[in-house]
Amino acid sequence: MSANANSLSQYLEQLPGTTFRRLYLQPSTAFAIFRRMLPHLAKTIVMAMLYMPLPFQLSDLEIWIKPTARREKDQAIAILRSLHIIQRDTPQSMSLTPNFRKSLRLALEGGGDHNSFGVPSTQPAPPEIDIAFLDRYARKKWDDILHYVVNSVGFSSSEKGSNGPKQSVKDLLLGGRLVERKGGGLSITQAGFTFLLQEANAQVWTLLLLWLEAADVLNANGASRAGMESVDMLSFFFLLASLEHGRAYNTDSLPEARKNMLPTLVDFGLIYIPPGNSHQFFPTRLATTLTSSETTLRSVSAGFAAANNGDNGDATQVDKSAIILETNFRMYAYVQSPLQIAVLALFSELKFRFKGLVSGHLTRASIRRAVDMGITSDQIISYLASHAHEQMHRVAASTHKPLLPPVVIDQIRLWQLDTERMLATQGYLFKDFDDYREYIEICNFADDIGVVSWRNDKKGMFFANKVDQIKDFMRTRKKANEGK
Amino acid sequence: MNRIDASDHYDESSFAAQTPSLLTIVIDTNPRAWAALHHVLPISKAIANILVFVNAHLAFGNDNQVAVLAAHTNRAVWLYPKSPNPDGGSYGRGQDVHMSGVEPELGTSANKYPQFAQIETSILTSLRALIDSTTAADLNPTTLISGALTIALSHIHKTSLAFEPPKTSTDPANPTTAAALTSSSTATPNLHARILVLSVSDSEPAQYIPTMNAVFAASHARIPLDTITLHGTPTFLQQAAFITGGTYLSAAANPRGLLSYLMFGFLADADARRSLVAPTQDSVDFRAACFCHRDVVDTGFVCSVCLSIFCGVPDGAECLTCGTRLALGAYGAKPAVVPRKRKKKKIARVNGSGGGEDTGSATGTPVPP
Repeated sequence: MSANANSLSQYLEQLPGTTFRRLYLQPSTAFAIFRRMLPHLAKTIVMAMLYMPLPFQLSDLEIWIKPTARREKDQAIAILRSLHIIQRDTPQSMSLTPNFRKSLRLALEGGGDHNSFGVPSTQPAPPEIDIAFLDRYARKKWDDILHYVVNSVGFSSSEKGSNGPKQSVKDLLLGGRLVERKGGGLSITQAGFTFLLQEANAQVWTLLLLWLEAADVLNANGASRAGMESVDMLSFFFLLASLEHGRAYNTDSLPEARKNMLPTLVDFGLIYIPPGNSHQFFPTRLATTLTSSETTLRSVSAGFAAANNGDNGDATQVDKSAIILETNFRMYAYVQSPLQIAVLALFSELKFRFKGLVSGHLTRASIRRAVDMGITSDQIISYLASHAHEQMHRVAASTHKPLLPPVVIDQIRLWQLDTERMLATQGYLFKDFDDYREYIEICNFADDIGVVSWRNDKKGMFFANKVDQIKDFMRTRKKANEGK
Repeated sequence: MNRIDASDHYDESSFAAQTPSLLTIVIDTNPRAWAALHHVLPISKAIANILVFVNAHLAFGNDNQVAVLAAHTNRAVWLYPKSPNPDGGSYGRGQDVHMSGVEPELGTSANKYPQFAQIETSILTSLRALIDSTTAADLNPTTLISGALTIALSHIHKTSLAFEPPKTSTDPANPTTAAALTSSSTATPNLHARILVLSVSDSEPAQYIPTMNAVFAASHARIPLDTITLHGTPTFLQQAAFITGGTYLSAAANPRGLLSYLMFGFLADADARRSLVAPTQDSVDFRAACFCHRDVVDTGFVCSVCLSIFCGVPDGAECLTCGTRLALGAYGAKPAVVPRKRKKKKIARVNGSGGGEDTGSATGTPVPP
C-alpha cells in the first residue's frame, strides 16, 4: 500500500459514521473510495453484494472464499467495515450500507440527476489549452511548492524565475508544520521531509488533507468563511478525480462553497482557469490521477516528463527521475531538475554531476545526517523504490528478486538503528484473558486483520494499535459462547 | 531488532501493485436465438446488464481494460474498441483512447463517468450498425463463435505485448535483459486477460476444429475462457471452459438474473479467483465432432498418428488428415469369440493340470535305486 493511501485511509478512518453516510450520497465519492481504498478481494466482495436483493449470509461468504484465503478475507472485511461500506444486519449476515449501495449503483449505471461527475462546459475551449499545456502548468505550480519547501533546507535552487507559491499555500505549509519559522528564516521539519520524499500523488493528498484540517479548525472556531465544510470538500476532491483530463468543465453549476474552493485549487495546480473566462475550469493531471493506482502514476510522471521534453526539446530523457542503485552502495540518478538533486543530496553523498546524471554514494555518514534531520530509513527506501529506474524494474522482474538490493536496504535500516533503539507505537495492551484459548483466538484474529504490533504467547498478552474491530470480535465471540 | 530481519518488507508489493486485467466479452448476436429469448430477456436489457458489468470491471482500477466483440451469424465484429481496420492509425487500447486526447465526443452527461459513457456509445452505435446491416439471408441458426474467439485472442496478445516492460529497443547493447524478459513474461504475467462468452445458441459442429484451435491457444496462453449461456447448449464452449480453467454457467433457467450471474460468477479476475471457490460443472459434455462429416459423435474412430476423429471408417482405411494407411485389426469381427476360446483353454488346463503336474513331479523325482 502506498504512503498516500495510508495517510488518506488514516484520515478517513477517524471520521464518524455519519460523515461517511453523507460522503456516500455522491456517486463519484462512493466510486472513488471503492476504487482507491479497497484491496482487491474487498472489491470483488462488494461487487458481488451490490445487486444482491437479500443480506449476504456470513456462512455463504465462508463457503465462497477458500480456506487458504482466510487472512485476506478478514482483512477485506475489516477495511470494509472501517470505511462503513458494509454493516452487519444480524450476527449472521451483512449488507452494504444503503447510501453506498445506491451511489455505487448509480455510478455504474450512469443514471440519476446528481451531476457528481462534473458538468462539462458548453463553451468552446481555447485552442492553446491542450494536454501538454496543462501538464506544463501543473508541473510548474507543483514544482514551485516543492521548491519552497526544499529551499528552506538551505540547498539553493538555480531556478529563480518563479516567484514561489501563493501566500495561502505558504500559510498552509507552515500551518501543517511542513516548514517552520526559525528566527527569521524557514526550516524544514520531519513532516516536511516525509512530504518531499513521497511521490507526487501522495504529496497532493498530503496537502489536500492539510487543507481539510485547516478548514476544520476554522469551522470549529466559528470563523468559517463561506461555509467550507470538510465533507463537502472531500467529496469535491473525489469529483475532481473522476473528471476527464484535458476537458473544460463548467464552474457555474458548482455550488457556492465549491466555487470558493477553486482559487486554492488553482494555487495547488490541480485545476486551471483560463484568465479570460472564469466560467470554465480544466482539471490537470494532478487532479485526475488522485484516485489512480501506482502503475498509472508511473505513467503520470512519464506524462510530466513528456511535457518537460516539449520545453527543452530534449527527447533523450524519458523519466523525470530514475535512480539505479547498486549493491556496492553506489547510486546513479538520471535527474534534470535541481529540485530532485537537492532531494537526493538529503541522504546521499553526491560525487559527480553531469548533464542529466548525478552519481553518488550512500554512506553511513550521509544516512546518519539524514536521520539526524528527521528522515527515516523507510522514507529513503520508499523514495528509492518509487523512483527506481526502468532497468531496475526489468531486472527485478526477470530474476524474481526484490527491486532494491536487499543488502543496501538492510544496511540503511541498520544505520538508522544505530541512532534509535526504541520504537514507540500508540495502542492498547490486551492481557488477563480468561483462558488460553480465548487469548489465542482473539490474538490470531487481531493478527489476521494486521493490527498486532507485539505478542507474547507465553504470558498471554498482546499489543494492538487499533481496537475497534477487536472489540466487535470479542463481543460476537462472547455472544456465541453464551449461546452455547 | 526483529524489525530488521527484513523478511517482511520484500512482499510489500502484493497490495500496491494490482495487475491490470483485460476482459474480452464475446456477445453472441444470433438474431434467431434472441428472438426466441425476447419474451424473457430482450437483447436491449441484456446489453444494459452487460454494460453495468463492464463498468464494474473497469471500476476495479484505472488500468483495467475491456474489449467487446459480437459474434454474428456470418462474421465477428468489434463493438469496443472500434475496429482497427477502417481508420488505421488511431487504434488504441481501451483507456488510451481518451488519455491520448483523441477528440472526445461532446455532450456526455454529468451523471456518468466519462470513460463509461464513451464505451456505452461505442457499443451501442456499433451494435446498431450491425443489426441494421443484417439481412434475411444472414439468418443462420448458429453463430460463428470461433472467429470472435480468434480475434479476441489476437487482441489480448497485442495488448499484453504493450504491457511488457517497454523500451527494450532503447538499449540494443544489452540483449540479455531482453532475453530474460521473455522468460519472465510467462512466469509472472503483467496482464490478466480473460474471455467471457455470452452464448445464446448451440455449438455448430462444423466449427469444431477452429473453435478447438482457439481454445487450445487460449489454454496455452493461460487465458481462462468463461461462458455464460442463456439459451441452447454450447457443447464446445463447455469443453473450452473446462480445458482453460474458466467458469461455465448456464443461466437458461433464469435469464432475467443475468446481471447477478455476471457480478457474482464472472467478475473476479485471476488474482481474486485464487482466493475464491469457483462454480464447478457437474458434468462436461466431452463429445467431439468428427472430421469427415462434422457430426457430433459419441463413439468414433481416431487416427493413431494424427488423432483425427472420424464417425465411420474412411475410404480405404486411409486417414483423411494425414493420409496414413490405418490397419483396422479385427474390426467387424464378433468380439465375443476371443474370450470364450481363451476361457475354454484355461478350463481345459485346469481340468487336466492335476494329472499333468503329478506326472511331471513323479518323473522328475529321482527314485533311489
